[in-house]
Amino acid sequence: MDRALFHLLMMRLRGGIRLRLVQLQSVRGLLFTLAFGGIIWLLVAANSSSPDVGVLTDATLDRRALSTQISTFMPLGMLAMSLLTVALATGPTFHFSPTEINFLFTGPFRRRDLIIYKFSAYVAGVALSSALITPFAQAQTGSALSAFVASLLTLIFVQLNSAVIGMAGQALEGSRLARLRYPLLALLLLAAVATVLYAWAEPDLSIFDLLSEFRHSWIGIIILFPYIVFAELFVAPSLFPNLAVWASIAILINIALLAAVIALDARTTDRALSENARRSNRWERIKQGGSVWASERTEVPSIRRSPILGGLGPIALRQATSAARNSIKIIVVFAGLAACVGPLGVALGVSVTDARAFLAMYIFFGFILPRTLVCDFRGDLSRMEIYKTLPIAPWRICAGQLVVQVLLTYVIALTLIVSIFAFEDGVDTSVALVFAAFALPLTVLVYAIENTIHLLFPTKLVPMGRADFEFLGRSLVEFIAKTIIVLAAAAASAAVGFVTFTTIRTSLVLSGLASWTTLTLIGLLTLVVMQYAFRRFAVAETVD
Amino acid sequence: MITVTNFSKQYKGFTAVKNLSFSIEPGQILGLVGPNGAGKTTTLRALCGIIPPTSGQLLIAGHDIVQEPIAAKREIGYIPDDPRLFDTMTVWEHLAFTAAAHKLADFESDAEALLASFELTHKRDTLVHNLSRGMRQKVAIACAFLHDPKAILFDEPLTGLDPQGIRGIQQAIRERAQAGAAIIISSHLLSLFENLCTHIMVLNLGECRRFGTMSEVLSEVGQTDSSSALEEAYFAITQHKETGEV
Repeated sequence: MDRALFHLLMMRLRGGIRLRLVQLQSVRGLLFTLAFGGIIWLLVAANSSSPDVGVLTDATLDRRALSTQISTFMPLGMLAMSLLTVALATGPTFHFSPTEINFLFTGPFRRRDLIIYKFSAYVAGVALSSALITPFAQAQTGSALSAFVASLLTLIFVQLNSAVIGMAGQALEGSRLARLRYPLLALLLLAAVATVLYAWAEPDLSIFDLLSEFRHSWIGIIILFPYIVFAELFVAPSLFPNLAVWASIAILINIALLAAVIALDARTTDRALSENARRSNRWERIKQGGSVWASERTEVPSIRRSPILGGLGPIALRQATSAARNSIKIIVVFAGLAACVGPLGVALGVSVTDARAFLAMYIFFGFILPRTLVCDFRGDLSRMEIYKTLPIAPWRICAGQLVVQVLLTYVIALTLIVSIFAFEDGVDTSVALVFAAFALPLTVLVYAIENTIHLLFPTKLVPMGRADFEFLGRSLVEFIAKTIIVLAAAAASAAVGFVTFTTIRTSLVLSGLASWTTLTLIGLLTLVVMQYAFRRFAVAETVD
Repeated sequence: MITVTNFSKQYKGFTAVKNLSFSIEPGQILGLVGPNGAGKTTTLRALCGIIPPTSGQLLIAGHDIVQEPIAAKREIGYIPDDPRLFDTMTVWEHLAFTAAAHKLADFESDAEALLASFELTHKRDTLVHNLSRGMRQKVAIACAFLHDPKAILFDEPLTGLDPQGIRGIQQAIRERAQAGAAIIISSHLLSLFENLCTHIMVLNLGECRRFGTMSEVLSEVGQTDSSSALEEAYFAITQHKETGEV
């Protein structure tokens, strides 16, 4: 690598460390970092202390069984990721920021040097990610070193592999081969659907059995060979010779891929520049709370009039346009996932009443969905000036902010309930209706808490790089705080229902209604707190 | 129309504005001028209800911005220095949003006229994140003018505008003042004030150094060789204080 680029890399690394140290100097930064470290330590301790009680382990899976599963399914999962890259990738895979383009592209550097510079920066980041993964993977691999090496080489492979696939796709654009992309994908999709239907029709065979058969067939081994190498890193029984051999092959594969990236880069420079600009714009948008999949159209038909609805209308309209133009793909994906829960549960033999399924659903609705689908104050923290100057009562602004977010989440929740109701035997209409009724106030509560926290302690929605422990700690603390409030509200609601039932003893409907009313009131009370948070929100206090 | 009495604003022990008092009548245009950190933006933000004052009273068309925020905000048009628009909405939808927020039933003809006057008609259906900074500034101004406010507050209104845009905005400001709006402009462009303002206030370190009509402020400096008398006055007022001569 060019010496100047190496120096730049070192200075940026030093700058990153300095930034983290500055974060630690504030009480909030220190607390969130400690919280993050503490929670990770707890998880690691719980994971390694006993296989029977560990949160991340399953009593039925010992290390050997897990090794078999990794060896069988990890290559398949990596292949699926590669296919997804083929379907979705638009490049570039090595992203240069506008500053890097301005400074480095005009500097006396070869493209090859720039690619190696970027790759080195990526490896530095991945090394940190691998260090974080190591404590969790250690129980499987046997030693910290093997866990670190396996994670590092695999993460580098994932990046380089998708880079090569994306760049090869761009290089072939316009040629006859490129036209085959979608028919081939359609064929693969058809094969996947056929496999699922076959597994459905054959009660003795599950999808996993079929995938396992494919993985261990000779054609499976040929297709999956590069991916098998990286799976073997995680299941190597000893450091030497097993891990050393597989790691050497993995390094060779990564070097070959890097060489391919450098070779392909020369043929895709123009495309990479435009994609860099597009990605930078997208990144700026995400930092301001926008969606990853925002509309890239320049013009759209305008909505001629906004509903007024006492002030709720324009706010809801703003969020509705945001959802429709920024997040429609993600809504469709989440609704699709929710619709698959019923059949998937049946296929895997997991009931919705299973604690793990319940936990997964809560994490989805309480953490993943709110982090991914943002159509409320959290995405508008940089535009609070506008809301502050509107002649609309604060509670109406707050309610307007929640309407779209809550309704969209509720639609996804209803899809999930319908999916479970349609496929799971134990769920009858009355149970589904109860879930549907309680899902709405619960959703209001979740987002009112989420927005209140963000108004009281405003912060960015994306981490500043991999080592933003303050951000990670804050996310975990927020999730825990939210969970405590939701659990307290659910307990209060259940208690009121129980008291009503023991007092009246006529029907479950009345006690259910009392429970629902309590939960709704708690949700509305949280809205009052959110309104207070909005009123005291201090827009960046410029002292000019 | 705009009355400020003993307004002070403190941030964590730092006084951004101290005991500011002034009054602007309909048709008057006040230029707020001062070095960085003088308290100009803080004054404008407090006037439109973005930040609460630490003490003092701020009246817009007779409504206290703290006691009657909704009534006061109905009479305000605020154009910030860096207009943060909603990137998923089109130019027209920003006007529709503003109309609904101010409960304007028939806004279409006024909105069309504003789009035409700011040369935005052909950008009506463009998502605002695709607009240049100058165009976004024009959209913000069009939104601020839509409800015909009695008090208009500009923070660096000409940033990012092309020469035609600058002329258009200056003309629009004059027209609004002639129609009876009280206008406050904060800017570092002294030439803008000479062209537009009826009154000048020089702020420095959060305090008012001079407040008066343009002719009053200029007369204090007297005849100079400089091409800009206001520039001479500005430096005379701000530098005297800094060197302890006042």
